[in-house]
Amino acid sequence: MTDPILSLRGIGKSYGAVLAVREVDLDVFPGETVAILGDNGAGKSSLIKMISGAEAPSAGEMRVRGERVRFSSPHDALARGVATIYQDLALAPRLSIAQNVFMGSELTRPSPLPFLRLLDKKKMAEESRRYLEQLAIRIDDMSRPVDRLSGGQRQAVAISRALRWNADIIIMDEPTAALGVKETALVLDLARRLKASGRTILLISHNMRDVVALADRVVVMGAGAKIADRPAAGLSADDLSHMIMNGAAPTAPDSPRPSTGPG
Amino acid sequence: MREIVGRYGTALAGLALIVFFIAFAPNFATPGNIVNVLKDTSFLAILAIGFALAFTVAELDLSVAEVASLAAVVCGWLAQKQYHPALAVAAALAVGLVFGAANGFGVTRLKVPSLIMTLGAAAIAKGAAFMITQGVAFVGRWPAGFTGLARGTTLGVPNLVLWLAAVTAFAYVLVKWTRTGAHMVATGEADEAARLSGVDVGRMKRLGLLLAGVMASIAAFLLAANLSSAAPNMAGDYLLYAIAAVLLGMTMFEPGKPNIGGTVFAALVLKVLGNGLVLLGAPYYAQDIVLGAIIIGSVAFSASAMKKAAFKV
Ligand SMILES: Nc1ncnc2c1ncn2[C@@H]1O[C@H](COP(=O)(O)OP(=O)(O)OP(=O)(O)O)[C@@H](O)[C@H]1O
Ligand SMILES: [Mg+2]
Repeated sequence: MTDPILSLRGIGKSYGAVLAVREVDLDVFPGETVAILGDNGAGKSSLIKMISGAEAPSAGEMRVRGERVRFSSPHDALARGVATIYQDLALAPRLSIAQNVFMGSELTRPSPLPFLRLLDKKKMAEESRRYLEQLAIRIDDMSRPVDRLSGGQRQAVAISRALRWNADIIIMDEPTAALGVKETALVLDLARRLKASGRTILLISHNMRDVVALADRVVVMGAGAKIADRPAAGLSADDLSHMIMNGAAPTAPDSPRPSTGPG
Repeated sequence: MREIVGRYGTALAGLALIVFFIAFAPNFATPGNIVNVLKDTSFLAILAIGFALAFTVAELDLSVAEVASLAAVVCGWLAQKQYHPALAVAAALAVGLVFGAANGFGVTRLKVPSLIMTLGAAAIAKGAAFMITQGVAFVGRWPAGFTGLARGTTLGVPNLVLWLAAVTAFAYVLVKWTRTGAHMVATGEADEAARLSGVDVGRMKRLGLLLAGVMASIAAFLLAANLSSAAPNMAGDYLLYAIAAVLLGMTMFEPGKPNIGGTVFAALVLKVLGNGLVLLGAPYYAQDIVLGAIIIGSVAFSASAMKKAAFKV
């Protein structure tokens, strides 16, 4: 059995008197796609924020590839290969595709002056194109501002930034929430490609069809605690809705912890 | 076609204006007048570049002109006492560094919006300048080494124009070609996205405001050196002009974004316009009215250019 790539033990988060996440244990295995489900206010975003470095846990410990980590910023998490695709994508709309993909980690090259390094714009454009091609997205011009892209293409730019950081744990918070049918299909395809490339994905979604399409395993949150954790195989969208409301699937018995990674 | 109008429309209009004055304003195209316009442009453009660098990180620096006045007064005081020019220049730079650093501290650490912080800083600088001079101007025989900074020529080119070229090149390379510049731009465009990608947003904001202070000091010692005098209100009028230059510059080359090339060219257009209006016999208050119209018109133009761009695929 492989070791988990991400492991949480007794993770909790309180905002003042509100206990948003309580005592969550979770193991995620390399290459797995885990969907995190739950009603509004169940604590999904709060849990994800701790993994992505946006918030510090108030209790418990977190390990990435076996190493104990304490993220004090999303940048710390990125440096450990944990990237988050935010719901609002966190892109700069007026900046180019290449500028967005390489934001915060621009490539430079030496200049004639020894103390001065200049941006390597050509290389950044080439590599951005390469990342997008990995996602089967073809855009002619890497200098095009992001606000002239479609919603799905923007999602691809946000994912390219995660690829740029060499992230192998990718968190997607409601990736299809604001998208139309065609764009949703495109984003599901992007996620499938990430999965096929062996990356580990944590997916938050209210759309049960997305979950059925992508997840290897579902984790259900309720009132801050983990109330179910089981393989997704065989579960229908209706089963998932039922689990969110009742903490257990109507048919199959609930298995508290999966024994293996992806099948 | 629309793209060309959006990018170069106002720049071409500015060029047309210059040609118009050359053709019709009496004495506009004389060598003496042109040198004067270029000199005047240098002070304004250097100050405006500072404002543009602060604006690049999405902060306003309304203190640039008063900080320049204070820096001019401080270095003028030293020059009048015949201190070495290097000392006078260093003192001017120190004023800009102190105010720039204070603005950055206030905005990023004390969380005072830059509009308020720099307005306060402007008032303090103005008060300090009047305190140092007791309200009168420093004039006199200043060391030639100091006045030469602005009045001299190097290989036949006026030093002021060289200063402007150096400052422009520095700012342009910084913003367009360095990683620090890319971080400044990201900070100004989307600070949250920049922060999430590991950009030190606070540091970039402090840097932008610090550079605005430094540019104000450079403009200040050049202004004082050129006139051999320093008065506590000598740069006050430059604030509106600097803002107008940056905003008009934002209608050129990169519509909607503060940019160095646009700022410098817009500074030239504004100074040509002011000079040409005077030569054509327009009353002194016409300049202010035109300036106000340019400030409002530029922003309206940028806004509509951006809207069109967003719809175009
Ligand atoms: N910054 C905060 N301050 C105080 N309470 C918070 C904060 N963030 C979340 N909470 C509370 O923590 C609980 C869990 O919220 P969270 O956002 O994690 O839920 P969620 O499962 O993501 O819900 P949704 O599906 O609506 O996005 C809620 O009761 C919420 O009100
Ligand atoms: Mg949420």
